Amino acid sequence: MNKGYEVINYGALPLSSGDSLPTLDGASTTVPADGVLPARAYTEDVSFSLSGAYDETDMWYVTDEYRERLFHVKQFVKPSWLRIDVRIPKSVTQGRFQRDKVVTGVDKDFGFRRGVFEVVHLPKIHYGYRYCNETNLNVYTFVKFIYAEYIVEIPRNSDLIFRVLSKQYPSYWLTLPIVVYDPIVAEGLKDTYGIEGFTVYRSDQRSEAIREYEKLLEEVMV
Amino acid sequence: MVSELLTLYGTASVSAGGSGDFTLTSPMIYGSFTYIRIPKGMKAKIWAKRLAGTVGYTLQINFTHDVTASTPTWSVIDSEHLSSAGMESLEKRRPIVVIARTGKEAVKLSYANTTGGGTIYVDVEIEITDEE
Repeated sequence: MNKGYEVINYGALPLSSGDSLPTLDGASTTVPADGVLPARAYTEDVSFSLSGAYDETDMWYVTDEYRERLFHVKQFVKPSWLRIDVRIPKSVTQGRFQRDKVVTGVDKDFGFRRGVFEVVHLPKIHYGYRYCNETNLNVYTFVKFIYAEYIVEIPRNSDLIFRVLSKQYPSYWLTLPIVVYDPIVAEGLKDTYGIEGFTVYRSDQRSEAIREYEKLLEEVMV
Repeated sequence: MVSELLTLYGTASVSAGGSGDFTLTSPMIYGSFTYIRIPKGMKAKIWAKRLAGTVGYTLQINFTHDVTASTPTWSVIDSEHLSSAGMESLEKRRPIVVIARTGKEAVKLSYANTTGGGTIYVDVEIEITDEE
């Protein structure tokens, strides 16, 4: 949908002058001007507002009634050295190392990307983006989105699903950074699609997979 | 690949034989600063320098391994001399490269050997990148 017009020059990160942000050095700091990410600071759970959107405070959020829509969003942030990660849902940090031994993310030494971030926004789940500026500079920020509003349907052919998931059928793969499977995610998937997803089986487990997929396909809602 | 090109501007009122650090500004940066701390794992590449002034001076590019130390140790890694009033523009086909191995590395610009009293200017193109 909207082909050819999928670029949004959103503008500065939604940071307001006077906001308080935590810093990498264990203190807190104040945003000196709108859209400025202070030195050594990181944000918590940023969402992007859009007047007229389903949720005007979170432009990428839709409810499960929008189950036939899927937003594929790639964001480009300036300055491009900024660290980015996303919490799905908001407030649930997803980065882990050695089970739960180490929590990672923008406020840690690893577990983030820089400058560019690509996700799919699942309906009924609020995502919280985090940005971190590890330099000593207070930086003016800018965000550009390139997105696609797909009209989607789950294939009803269990063999096709198996071939996609066993990588025998060409398809685009995008891994969402979900390590901690929060009940909000499970509920969002169930309410939106009727199922929480399809198990990935080995290519020699075809019959087992097909059996399960057939059963799940009776419950899908889109 | 991550790459951001910044132009840093500095100016100073000086007297003969003076030296000091430039206070810098940049359109992408709010406020002023005297050094740039380089993100861990990234590099700073200095591609171009422009010196100008109503008097001559020496521009020095300084580097420290640890800007968080109570008294950082700065080393001059490059210098350029403007011999008298005027302007000099230098572009580097091979940039000056500074690598951040700990995230505490920083660069700053300073001036020395001013030839008289007046105003001096500098601008520098610096790229922050993770490219080899």
